[in-house]
Amino acid sequence: MSDERTKSLFGPHSRRSILKGLGAAAVGITLTSKNYSAWAADEEKKLNFYNWDTYIGETTLEDFADASGIDVNMSLFATNDELFAKLRAGNPGYDVIVPGSEFVERMIQADLLEPLDHAKIPNMKNIAPEFIEDAPFDPGRKYSLPYTWLVIGIGYRKSKVKEVPDSWEYLFNSDQYKGRIAVMSDASELFRNCFKYLGKSINDDSPELIKEAEAMLIKQKPNIKAFHEDNGQDLLLSGEVDLVMEYNGDIAQIMTEDDDIDFIVPKEGAMKQQDTLAIPKGAPHPENALKFLNFIFEPEVGAEITKTILYPSPNAAAVALMPDSYKDNKVIFPPADVMAKCEYPRYLGPEFTRLLDEAMTRLRAA
Amino acid sequence: MATRRAPLEYNRAWQMKLWLLVVFFFLYAPLLALIVFSFNDSKRNIVWRGFTLKYYEKLFNNDDLLIAFANSLTIAFFATLISLVIGALAGILLWRYRFFGKTAVEGAFTLPIVVPEICMGVSMLLFFTRVLPWPNDLIWPFSLGSIIIAHVSFCFPFVALVVRARLASFNTEQEEAARDLGANDWQAFRDVLLPHLKPALIAGALLAFTLSLDDFVITFFTSGPDTVTFPVKVYSMLRFSVRPKSTPHRRC
Amino acid sequence: MATRTQERRLAFLATALPPIAWVVVFFLAPLAIVWAYSFGQNQGLTEVDISGTFANYARALQPLYLGIFAKSIFVAGITTFLCLVIGFPVALSIVFASERWRAWILLLIMLPFWTNLLIRTYALIAVLRTQGYVNFTLEWFWNQGSWLMTLVGLEPLGDFTPLQLLYNNFAVVFGLVYVHLPFMVLPLYAALDRLDKSLIEASLDLGAGHIRTLFLIVVPLALPGIVSGIIITFVPALGAYLTPDLLGGPDSQMIANVIERQFKKANDWPFGAALSFLLMYATFAAIALRVYLTRGKPTADGHGI
Repeated sequence: MSDERTKSLFGPHSRRSILKGLGAAAVGITLTSKNYSAWAADEEKKLNFYNWDTYIGETTLEDFADASGIDVNMSLFATNDELFAKLRAGNPGYDVIVPGSEFVERMIQADLLEPLDHAKIPNMKNIAPEFIEDAPFDPGRKYSLPYTWLVIGIGYRKSKVKEVPDSWEYLFNSDQYKGRIAVMSDASELFRNCFKYLGKSINDDSPELIKEAEAMLIKQKPNIKAFHEDNGQDLLLSGEVDLVMEYNGDIAQIMTEDDDIDFIVPKEGAMKQQDTLAIPKGAPHPENALKFLNFIFEPEVGAEITKTILYPSPNAAAVALMPDSYKDNKVIFPPADVMAKCEYPRYLGPEFTRLLDEAMTRLRAA
Repeated sequence: MATRRAPLEYNRAWQMKLWLLVVFFFLYAPLLALIVFSFNDSKRNIVWRGFTLKYYEKLFNNDDLLIAFANSLTIAFFATLISLVIGALAGILLWRYRFFGKTAVEGAFTLPIVVPEICMGVSMLLFFTRVLPWPNDLIWPFSLGSIIIAHVSFCFPFVALVVRARLASFNTEQEEAARDLGANDWQAFRDVLLPHLKPALIAGALLAFTLSLDDFVITFFTSGPDTVTFPVKVYSMLRFSVRPKSTPHRRC
Repeated sequence: MATRTQERRLAFLATALPPIAWVVVFFLAPLAIVWAYSFGQNQGLTEVDISGTFANYARALQPLYLGIFAKSIFVAGITTFLCLVIGFPVALSIVFASERWRAWILLLIMLPFWTNLLIRTYALIAVLRTQGYVNFTLEWFWNQGSWLMTLVGLEPLGDFTPLQLLYNNFAVVFGLVYVHLPFMVLPLYAALDRLDKSLIEASLDLGAGHIRTLFLIVVPLALPGIVSGIIITFVPALGAYLTPDLLGGPDSQMIANVIERQFKKANDWPFGAALSFLLMYATFAAIALRVYLTRGKPTADGHGI
């Protein structure tokens, strides 16, 4: 019966693949893909874009194809770790990737990224200057350009809290909301925001600090309902918990569905991140990739993307084209004074990563 | 003997029927709930906000998703076929023959079940990037080759295991009788052993097909830019559920 | 007869070569790379220096990780047991069903599993959560009961408190059983199909009850299937990471979650490899033990692996 099922659902793809096959036959079938350099002079009109699902404007890829004649083939990853794990063995043919800021630093150190030729991306001028200047993970933005940015904070249900939970204390060191809070399961995001609560920098790598945070979280564990896999917004929306540690963009999304939800960046400051665009080493179509990057930073294109994904955009020219409901949204753009206390996480080396992971394992096993 | 039922009629017993009913309820109720809510006019599937078909409209207009689905079915089809052959041979090999190093072979056939998915995924990743690079501009379906190979490697031991369990009830005298009647090895295999194996082959094929269709981790690590499968698509859709506004269908 | 021997040898080679070649080239060779990694250490971010160190294993054998191993084995064990109890009658009913029904029941058992695992897990979340269908149903009954109480002049029941069905170890086991049930049903069915029904009739004729017949005749006949079923339910359940991730509570951490983290977030492939291979060494030990215990018994017994 499996065979029947396969056949009946086969139609559209087999036709398409036949066409694809004919196309390949017409240009001469190439059995080896390793010979990239020979193509560089006259790149085929193709681009392999490795992105998060739907993390692009609804018509952006078609618009780019219309403008440049280059077909974009978008494939998907779901977490930065997966992206890194996959690329560390070698680039299987991606041209543009979308790593988070901490992973940009990892990838630069691992020599996985191609330096960007800024002369070929004139639209860089549309990016707000602070995103070029304040990028400790990629000084001078030699390897990556900002695509969106985001900050971790507390999403909460207004009717279920006594006062605005404006401190990490409610999540990390208090039984006031016992059984009604969820925190992130990612060791780096969880522990390094604890560092902030403890009055230290996100990029403090002292083992004693990890120990202190671990002890505090183990004490807090009975009050925590779940360690969520970055789906905290669902837990909050479904009423499973009333306070959740989550990114502002995710909470902004569910606020359009439920008026009773709000978001705040704790007064101690928090971790901020950027999603960036970069070209991995060994990209088969580097020239197309640069054209694509430049296209993304067109004001209208940036606005089209922002309209779809509703994340804070570093593209100042694009933000200017957005309606006030976006520009004045306090969740998407938290107040400047609290943002000033937020930091980008740096990659602090394998020993730190290992200590964090062990602390996380102990915390979950405790 | 009014109380005695013929053994064939076990299924008439109400306990049996009730049990089946409960199990099917257990299996289907969550999915039915999900199906009902796929008509819900809400992006997040939590509160009922009215009837809509828009997600289905979006689903069927989503070429990427359909291509991913076709890719998955193709992979599952070939992986099942190859796993069935290799798995059946492996099962027969371990059941019929004694040979040098049999224990090691037996262990090697069990290992793919034991290896954690992620470990297998990473070994396949290293293998297909460093040892046997799989060209990514091959014509479909050859572009799926590396994924199919990886799938066979973790599916066939399941077939082998089921086949071997089935062979335990095989009466070797039947085969010998066939040989005595002049059948050669191949004929004895085809006419006696294979018919006996049929239920195991069905069960094995179902297992392999299910495993292959559902695999995310190993597929993720062996796929290239042109080979998005359904689980890979669904995983990035659901796990990175940031923009339900444009997410075509949270429930597929 | 030389030709006969030749034919035998050919048959052996035709049986042995394809699976052995496949497993060596497309499984053992890839795995060997990672196995070598388990004796290495990270060199920078992407390279592994295979130095022959046992440090990864020493780390993996710390009480912290052994404790997680033990817990995972416990959870997988309960899951397997529940699958066996639930799945055995289902397999029996497939075996005893008429030809037409057999295909239908098999299909009905498998169909939910052609839905993606993640979608199925989300379905479970929708059913089990505080504001999920189970709690909605219970609340409805509670309110009806409360109404009935007032009708007969009693105090109404208090407010309904939803059951906490998600984010704990119960949810993990529930989810694992939900996901792994067919892995138990299929081998049982394969082993029992077309079993010699005269044996059952004889047992009943001799006065044994249905339950006794079941345990004395049917279960021993199904034993190879039970063994296979246990193996292919237990081992994958032990390696499950998504279910504990999404349904589990603060302490629902299984060994596969730790292993997954090593390969992804922690970027420590050598240690992840060592943890993975501990599982495999244990399997090999179990196989060797079984071979040792059954030594001297006739072959072609077909009992499990």
